[in-house]
Amino acid sequence: MSLLLLLLIAVPLGAALALLLLPRAVGEHLAPSVGVAASALTLGVALLTLAARPWSTGTPVLELDAPWIPAIGARLHLVLDGVSTPLVLLTAGLGLAVTLLTAREAPSGGSVRSLVVCLLVVEGGALATFTASDLLLFFVAFEVVLVPMWAVIRWWGDAHEPGVRHDAAARFVLYTALGSAVMLAGLLLVTLRAGSSDIVALTAAHGAGMGRTTQVVAAVLLVGGLAVKVPIWPLHTWLAPAHTAAPTVGSVLLAGVLLKMGTYGLVRVVVPVVPEGFAAVAPTLAVLGVVGILWGGLACLVERDLKRLVAFSSVAHMGFVALGIASGTPQGLQGALFANVAHGVITGLLFVVAGGLKDRFASARLADIGGGLRDRSPRLGGLLALGCVAGLGLPGLAGFWGEILAVYGSWRDGVFWKTLAVLAVVGTALAAAYLLRVLRAVWHGESDQPVGRDATGVELAVTLPLVALTVVLGLVPWLLLRLTEPTVQHLLGLGRGAV
Amino acid sequence: MSPGVQGVDWLAIGPVLGPAVAALLALAVDAVVGARRTRLVDAIAVAGLLVGLVLLVPQGGASTFCSAPGRCSYVVSSLTLSLQAVVLAAALVCLLLAVGLRDRLPRTELHLLVLIATAGACALAAARDYATLAVALETASLPLVALVALRRDGRGAEAGLKLLMTSVVSFGLLALGIAMVYASTGSLYLGQPVATALGDLRAAHGVGLALVVAGAAFKLSLVPFHLWTPDTYAGAPLPVAAFLSTVSKVAGLSAVVLVLAVGAPERAGDWAAPVGVLAAVTMTVGNLVALRQRTAVRLLAWSTVAQAGWVVLPLAGAVTASRVTSAVSASVGYLLAYVVATLAAFAVVVRVAESHPDGARHPLTAYSGLWRRRPALALVLGFALLCLAGLPPGVMGVVAKIVAIAPVVGVNAYGLVAVAVLNVVLGVAVYLRWAAALVAPGEASSTTGTTPVAHRMALALSAGGCVALSVLPQLVAGVLARVPLR
Repeated sequence: MSLLLLLLIAVPLGAALALLLLPRAVGEHLAPSVGVAASALTLGVALLTLAARPWSTGTPVLELDAPWIPAIGARLHLVLDGVSTPLVLLTAGLGLAVTLLTAREAPSGGSVRSLVVCLLVVEGGALATFTASDLLLFFVAFEVVLVPMWAVIRWWGDAHEPGVRHDAAARFVLYTALGSAVMLAGLLLVTLRAGSSDIVALTAAHGAGMGRTTQVVAAVLLVGGLAVKVPIWPLHTWLAPAHTAAPTVGSVLLAGVLLKMGTYGLVRVVVPVVPEGFAAVAPTLAVLGVVGILWGGLACLVERDLKRLVAFSSVAHMGFVALGIASGTPQGLQGALFANVAHGVITGLLFVVAGGLKDRFASARLADIGGGLRDRSPRLGGLLALGCVAGLGLPGLAGFWGEILAVYGSWRDGVFWKTLAVLAVVGTALAAAYLLRVLRAVWHGESDQPVGRDATGVELAVTLPLVALTVVLGLVPWLLLRLTEPTVQHLLGLGRGAV
Repeated sequence: MSPGVQGVDWLAIGPVLGPAVAALLALAVDAVVGARRTRLVDAIAVAGLLVGLVLLVPQGGASTFCSAPGRCSYVVSSLTLSLQAVVLAAALVCLLLAVGLRDRLPRTELHLLVLIATAGACALAAARDYATLAVALETASLPLVALVALRRDGRGAEAGLKLLMTSVVSFGLLALGIAMVYASTGSLYLGQPVATALGDLRAAHGVGLALVVAGAAFKLSLVPFHLWTPDTYAGAPLPVAAFLSTVSKVAGLSAVVLVLAVGAPERAGDWAAPVGVLAAVTMTVGNLVALRQRTAVRLLAWSTVAQAGWVVLPLAGAVTASRVTSAVSASVGYLLAYVVATLAAFAVVVRVAESHPDGARHPLTAYSGLWRRRPALALVLGFALLCLAGLPPGVMGVVAKIVAIAPVVGVNAYGLVAVAVLNVVLGVAVYLRWAAALVAPGEASSTTGTTPVAHRMALALSAGGCVALSVLPQLVAGVLARVPLR
């Protein structure tokens, strides 16, 4: 059973390596089908891990442990628990989605084989990050996605402006490399002071063995490093160019998988490992999260490019996640994890639609797309409308529960937290305003723009599961909440209790 | 070996004798058969290095050339063995690169000089007194002057002259420093405790150490002792530049580690901070200048400067005597990863230079489209660059960076940590710029002929090393662990 964890990582990475070593002609020919097969197999493995019932306990249900670098005490230690399971499923699902999209309509810019290799490596690296239970292994896995994602933006990005996409790729890789290097300093500090790099052991110790100063310094380094990836205002400036320049598959992975690695890191290696230090950093993180919510919302109100708009809305949504985590309450953390997954699903959906529109109109500017999409291409228009209303947090859809819980969790004693919660609610109003603005500009009205091709089969095949997930998570949120609840209690060092 | 007797443990000095005897044999063969039998001379040279490598296997903890118990000039420790292994393996790859060149270098001279320098570097790793250290370091350095000028053209002569001047100055500093250390401690042996006996001479001893380190810093290309590096690399034949950036660096680090960590661990609190400053300045200057380079060999030259900073960075974490061992282990671990990755990069650069009209001075644009024309070369270079940048899949480089930063984090030297973090990012920018060229659309320029066997072997050895160390990063992290240095 524990071998499933190994398969989860070995299947996408192994398939990528095999593709890379095949002769060129064969590799190019086989790449689309190998990519789809490998990611489908990975999704199958991810679903099989549910048989271990990760919702039943707060401690890992699957565990794989082998020596790796004894000299520095690092181990190949993989675990699966209630917090990693939803992200593993999300990653595997989006991995299948992007390989399907590539197989049917590969973006121009280079060989299909190289693109599939990059996508599979990103998937494998993310899965390793979400299951790693050793600080140093976590770091290596965290870094694995960097080069392939850089390549995806640099070569398969926006075909019209090579200079822009080169800049965006360079900015992405340098910002995130800076973030990871800062995080590495924090991870090493924890490892050296606590005498262990094992996350399970460090979580159980709950900060014992580290003085307050050490904890605060480590928390500053870790949160500072991870904040680049999340991204948290004001470290978000790489996000919009990267999303705008990236091809659809890159945007989907960026929003649905890479950003999640940042928030997952906060929940996995900061909150339980240096609790005292995190408590000291949390108010700052909460303020920055709320600034991100408002900043992202205001930027979206004036943004003219649909892809940039979705990117800025990501900053706002991740602000809610940061606020929920910073609240330090079980409700806030649960809400953050829910919002995390909901954002992956909804933004994934929005990026498929926005990317599709950009392919059709050679621009993602709202003015270029023109109005009346519901008449011109009803299916794409409908998908866009659903993504928007889910994004603005309409009750009954996935976007609602995470953000309401994050705000509820941060409604703590004292003016400080209450003010933040109120401001966050203002942010949801902003979200409603900007997403309705998009609907008015693109979905409603009429336009003399030519009628674009409506959603293709593969676009529907990729988006309909996301739509279904949006609705299901909105109607039966306890599916996900029950899954994360015991682990959240464990991470916060609390006994089992009701949400 | 009974104490007090001047006996020689021949097995212990085997790794030095291997290349040294091969050098003499090559000379003899040249005298008897003439220079036409190049295959034979090549085989002798390669065999000498292989014999040296093989003789590393049965080594225990021997010491020889002793004048009294604990006063030995030649000590086989885990430090000695790992440095000797890196030297011999790196020399082998450089030799293979030189042998496979299209316009041949004078064969006997090449082998003679490479083998003697290698023997010197091997002896240096085992040296435990200042006199042996000085002689071995010069044996490892002076042949390089001739090697650099081996092509006998104007650029080669200029490069050789620069290196000669540098060597003379550095030897002067070294000799002066040794004299001051000897005057203050009264002993030439490195393994003697120093702190208690110093008294008023503490300052003189400190200056002496600083001068010796400055002498060795020329070999390591630490800023501000690096000025010779770019011109010399650009003027030398590429395999010789590879030798300078690998074997010479090992020799430089050996000298620094021997003088500071083996010779004066009691004064670690005094030397750790200055070494940290050197490391910080070196890596920052190296990376910033490397960002602006247009030719491959100059970029590699500045990259070796930056990497030298990383190599000595862990020593800055040795603020107390008890931390010295782990700091040295980290330094040598980083050095190992650096040498293997640099050799792989040089091997590809040599191949590209062979088919480029500008030869060794080819610009980075020569790499455009390499992934399409020569996928194997592009894979090797791409992997080596990622190792140098410290990005997966170059796990070897990632682990080396972790290992190098850890001692500094361990002593809360956050200023130094900040510089290191900044340089991680600069390094990513330097190496990804080159890596991006590999995949860029480029002229489908002709690919010349087949790769000579020697170059195939060099590529396989260095690339295999990168992959092996990435799969088993314990070799990088644990190269010296658990074994006392003295």
